[in-house]
Amino acid sequence: MKLVAALFTTALVTLGSWASASPMGLSPEGQKASAPDIAVNSKGDIAVLWVDRSPQDKPADGAHHHDRHLAVTDVYVSISKDGGNTFSAPTKVNASSGAVWGQQVSRPRIVGTPNGTWHVAYSANDIHPKFNKTLLTTHYTRSVDGGRSFESPKRLSSVTDQDMSDVIHGGFASAAAFGTMASAPDGSVHVYWIDTRHMKPDSDSGALYGSASGDDGKTFTTDKQVIATGVCPCCQLTAVANSKSEIIMGSRRVEKDSFRPATVMTLSRSDDVAHERQSIGGAPWQINGCPLKPTVVALHDSKVFAASHSGGEATPGVIFSVSNDEGNSFKPRGIVHPSAAVSDAPAIAINKSLVLLAWHAKVGTAPRRVFYRYYNLDGDPLGEVKELESSPGVSQFPIIAVRPDGNFQLLWQQADRIWSTTLAAQ
Amino acid sequence: MKALRRLLVCGFVLLCAPPLAAETPAKPVNAAEFKSALVSARGKVVVLNLWATWCVPCLREVPDLLTVTNEVNASGVVLIGVAIDDPSPGASEVERFRKKYFPDFFTYARQGPEMDELASVIDPAWNEVVPTTYLIDRSGKVVRRIQGKKSAQEFRKMIKEML
Repeated sequence: MKLVAALFTTALVTLGSWASASPMGLSPEGQKASAPDIAVNSKGDIAVLWVDRSPQDKPADGAHHHDRHLAVTDVYVSISKDGGNTFSAPTKVNASSGAVWGQQVSRPRIVGTPNGTWHVAYSANDIHPKFNKTLLTTHYTRSVDGGRSFESPKRLSSVTDQDMSDVIHGGFASAAAFGTMASAPDGSVHVYWIDTRHMKPDSDSGALYGSASGDDGKTFTTDKQVIATGVCPCCQLTAVANSKSEIIMGSRRVEKDSFRPATVMTLSRSDDVAHERQSIGGAPWQINGCPLKPTVVALHDSKVFAASHSGGEATPGVIFSVSNDEGNSFKPRGIVHPSAAVSDAPAIAINKSLVLLAWHAKVGTAPRRVFYRYYNLDGDPLGEVKELESSPGVSQFPIIAVRPDGNFQLLWQQADRIWSTTLAAQ
Repeated sequence: MKALRRLLVCGFVLLCAPPLAAETPAKPVNAAEFKSALVSARGKVVVLNLWATWCVPCLREVPDLLTVTNEVNASGVVLIGVAIDDPSPGASEVERFRKKYFPDFFTYARQGPEMDELASVIDPAWNEVVPTTYLIDRSGKVVRRIQGKKSAQEFRKMIKEML
């Protein structure tokens, strides 16, 4: 009886640590968690994902330890089956410790499909069979048991035929990273990444490649080049599917004289470019460097909402832009946080009538903190910019999704943990 | 004689002390140490370059920066690098890279988890773009922030304007 009581108490304590009132810590103490992602499936289950940097300095088996920039992280997933009120104990996605090349600017991604499958894409290392050098490749795995376990990963990016290890990537023969993933209403799963397999040594731009599955992740198409050049090689892609199962993708374009506008484009169901990349507007940003800035997108009927950091503005920060014609043209709404010294890392989610935009910013002498603001479906602000209530210190890299109850689930990184809270749909 | 010896010793220490020494291994520092190093560099024009081993434009830019700052070294111009790579024990990744490609490049490496840890010492509003180069005058004041790779000619002009 004592044993039962002890077990019951332990269970309550364990549950309590996950079921506490918001904000709640999702990643365990002791991990070095970062780079959160979130997905909601049509059943209303919520999956959260993060990268754990704890295995650092222990490269995955098979990697060349003399190389640089090796994968040294793990990915964890935790599931909520009650609309975001409680989350399961985290499951480690990768079987081999330290196998994932994941960080805030090249985050592993997670999406769900209607039958409950969770899909995860991330970058990892392989060894080139001919050059015997390390590659950075894009991998995929799925869970068909509600996030309790994940299948052996499959590599989606083909092995390069070019050795660029002496030019870029600190030892990699080529790289397929900074990727994204989307699930479409027709059940297809699409994975994209930025690829440097044919990048010229003096070039500043990568190519966009993708691979898709029509059988819930069981098999994937051979990877396909979607855009040959002109893709910022270090600005993570983002993608969502519209009601026609087309993909709306955010990326940064490399233009003549090093202008790098944030852009949005539409891909057909077969991953052909249906509408060329359109700039989301704002002041031109001329930068021959590594911006490391994604362009995030969210959809509502024919409206496309986009946000991205721009260094071209008088005060560098996040710009917000709205398209009323499925992304064919954009009307920029300006800097979202003009009083901040700098703002970055935007995230957008939309419920039936509200747009929630979150970002991190530095105001005055304060450390980086997470801020948010609501907008209507025309992109007009509702209320003021608000700072997220969280512990003192640095809070950063917000990610948002709409909960089944219509409220917003917001994740962020605070010190070495991932936290979650609920923001009411006002 | 004692005074002369003391002067010689002081001179030797100054010559060996960063940030002036060439072929010095990349040193991981925290914000306080970095701030102290910049204070020590007052009296010189500092060209402070934020770079990363994974940033191709940075790697193309560093040789030009070395050339230009060497040209005006006698005028009291020093080049200091700050590698923003994820920290690793002993800055081993950064150091391997520095040693292989730019052995004369004096650079610090970040020690803490935040990418902006060191940059915030001089520019709290840094937007985490590399390369970013700051021109700092002899009083320690940042007079210019330059983002993106620039040519040797562009750097030469901007630095000479400060002399």
